[in-house]
Amino acid sequence: MTTKVPPLTYKVIAECSVTKARAGLMTLRHGEVNTPVFMPVGTQGTLKGLLPDQLIELNCQILLGNTYHLGMRPGIETLQKAGGLHKFMSWPRGILTDSGGFQMVSLLKLAQIDENGVNFCSPFDNSECMLTPEHSIQIQNTIGADIMMQLDDVVKTTTVGPRVEEAMHRTIRWLDRCINAHARDEDQSLFPIVQGALDPELRKICADALIQRKVRGYAVGGLSGGESKHEFWRTVHVCTDLLPKDKPRYLMGVGFAADLVVCVALGIDMFDCVFPTRTARFGCALVNTGQMNLKNKKYENDMRPIDDECECSTCSRYTRSYLHHIAAMEAVSCSLLSIHNVAYQLRLMRSMREAIQRDQFPQFICDFMAKHFEGEPVPLWIREALQAVNVDLPPDDVKVKEAVA
Amino acid sequence: MKFVVENISKSSGRLGHLVQAETGKRFRTPLLVQTTKAGSIPYLSREVFDYITKETPALQFSLSTINHMTESLKLFNGTIGAYVGYPECLSLLLVRDTCTTTPSGHNDKDIMPLFTRRGKEMLTATSYMDAVEVLKPDIYQGLCDADTNLDSSKKRITKSVDRTAQFMDLCYERHQNSTVLNNSGLFVPIVGGYSTFARSDSIKHAKAKGESITSGYIFEGFHNNGLSATEVDVEQLLKVMTHSLNELNVEKPKMMPGAYTPPAMLELISLGVDIFDTSYAYCAATNFKALTFNFDLTKTESGNCSPFLDITTDSLKEDFTPLLADCDCLTCKKHTRAYLYHLYNTKEMAGPILIMIHNLHHMMKFFNTICNCIADDKLPDLVKLVNYQGHDAALDYSIKLNTKAISRNDQGKSFTVAKDDQ
Ligand SMILES: [Zn+2]
Ligand SMILES: [Zn+2]
Repeated sequence: MTTKVPPLTYKVIAECSVTKARAGLMTLRHGEVNTPVFMPVGTQGTLKGLLPDQLIELNCQILLGNTYHLGMRPGIETLQKAGGLHKFMSWPRGILTDSGGFQMVSLLKLAQIDENGVNFCSPFDNSECMLTPEHSIQIQNTIGADIMMQLDDVVKTTTVGPRVEEAMHRTIRWLDRCINAHARDEDQSLFPIVQGALDPELRKICADALIQRKVRGYAVGGLSGGESKHEFWRTVHVCTDLLPKDKPRYLMGVGFAADLVVCVALGIDMFDCVFPTRTARFGCALVNTGQMNLKNKKYENDMRPIDDECECSTCSRYTRSYLHHIAAMEAVSCSLLSIHNVAYQLRLMRSMREAIQRDQFPQFICDFMAKHFEGEPVPLWIREALQAVNVDLPPDDVKVKEAVA
Repeated sequence: MKFVVENISKSSGRLGHLVQAETGKRFRTPLLVQTTKAGSIPYLSREVFDYITKETPALQFSLSTINHMTESLKLFNGTIGAYVGYPECLSLLLVRDTCTTTPSGHNDKDIMPLFTRRGKEMLTATSYMDAVEVLKPDIYQGLCDADTNLDSSKKRITKSVDRTAQFMDLCYERHQNSTVLNNSGLFVPIVGGYSTFARSDSIKHAKAKGESITSGYIFEGFHNNGLSATEVDVEQLLKVMTHSLNELNVEKPKMMPGAYTPPAMLELISLGVDIFDTSYAYCAATNFKALTFNFDLTKTESGNCSPFLDITTDSLKEDFTPLLADCDCLTCKKHTRAYLYHLYNTKEMAGPILIMIHNLHHMMKFFNTICNCIADDKLPDLVKLVNYQGHDAALDYSIKLNTKAISRNDQGKSFTVAKDDQ
């Protein structure tokens, strides 16, 4: 490619005048992405039960692929011959890949990290393997995703002591090795990952170091791993304060509706999560009030769609009653619920973008939380997180307070 | 439901159409009906089915896979088609699931075993007709004992004819007295295994009791559904069918449910059978076989030695060609064999979905070609091409269980949840 346009450009289109939320436009080699964006996870080059055409129909602009899985199957040789993942899976729009390190550590019990990289046993032939920063980038260069993640030193979020600091520094060292190994900077953008567990000081040292490097966006890592919600939002808040405003910020592995709304308010632009498609396989549909488990007997004769306001192909044709009868039993139910759940996530993001552009995001947040926690108190962490960005949720209604007291 | 024979070709085969009573919509015969499981075309949502065709489909429902919904359907303000996402379809109700093997036995007294996902249920002619009145399909089959095949004893065959006659006496009565089945056509079952005598007995009863309320005939008792239908002895089958069709009214449509192979379907169409279903496409897809047999009379050079492509073949790993060159289905236009192999290898659900899209598309085009060939009086040429594919010997179209693929893709079992992502 000889074009001079960088493979990722990002432009803030609108900023919320109250919170840190912003709406932006990210332009990749494979099309535009409106942010804040939710990226459905297509682990092995396919999204559970959905076809690329259906995702385009839903106006999904970017997917996430897992380097670890793709490196195992179909393997980089096949991907190389196919001309990359876009061609292999016939997906013309954006793709982001993770580094493979996190999955290795979480999936393979025997994975061990040292300065060189991640040591692990291949689950297929038990041979000893090593994923180095260079190797991760090499695989990701072959996959050809628009956005790649650096290999980072993953520690459990709740880890304390010197191991956290070591991991943070190693992550910075590994970033430099990743940048050096990156062979396709004309087509792909490498995102570094802010580490430092729950320690604001370490997060600051890490972010400062990352900002020195020439990159086109940043990821916030090491969260959603068992920390309390109070620690979670404070860390996100710290990181978005540290990161430059003119580049996109990606919060890895977050995708519950309320978390998305809070984190958008805290200034995050990109999210991913397996939850919407995973929960579909268990017969659950996402709705404003949370999840609807369609296997529940109470939906047996409910002739309404999952959600009156949803425009997805499932809600326009199928009743809760029919879905109840096939949920988690027939393969097709997984497709039907995945469509709805992905549509739900994308619609939520679109409403947030529109609210930010109208500069009515604080009102959107209040309306959303009222619906989402209908009849239940809003969790304290959400109140506090929103207060930190100048949004005061109205008090829970009296009835609720009495019920709680 | 009305049936019109338009054209009986000189050499073999006939064209006609079914007319949906309420809408007047026509469905051309020879007709390929979409087989369903629990109301849905296997693996495909309505949205995905629409990628294959914009034509209104005829859908075949089996009571054994939808019986658990009949209570809900009582409360649903609409047709069975509307309930499952196809409000405009032509609906046909069968008793057994043609996609999976029906267990043998349990034929006690006046009870018919119905194998559902809840286990074995007992169906009587009364409870069956109750269900029919709830479902109100455009076409439904009469209840029959179809538990016979080539190996059945004479005694079993006789019993199946007698029991069917008993069931049907009540079905006729209920159909005639029903206030809600005025627009539903009754397809009278003809049973009797591979015995021409037993078939004659069955036909005699069918004619004596209800010629006037008979909308068509359905031939059962040649196989036990699932893969067994792909392995029937076609020579024996044709002998019995030739005999049976001679004794029946030409004007009525004839249906043969199950996964008969394309060559078998062609022979049966030559004899005058009008309606088949897509079970063969399903049985192939669920065993990771993409249909590739040629039915284009302008291309008669010898092709592959197999009528299908086995997706689980390791040599496809880096084969970046479509399943079938020149196929214009979504799968072939967008995806490669290598990708399909990967989806099989990772047990991803998109695999069976994409194979099913191709297989249904292939079968639908095949049926279009059949109609055109009958119109042009060229059906015998098509029979030859499909059977031999340009080779000296006829090809084997039967489908064997693909042991590499059975782990996840439901061989009659419910869909198991995989826990492999993240
Ligand atoms: Zn929906
Ligand atoms: Zn095709």
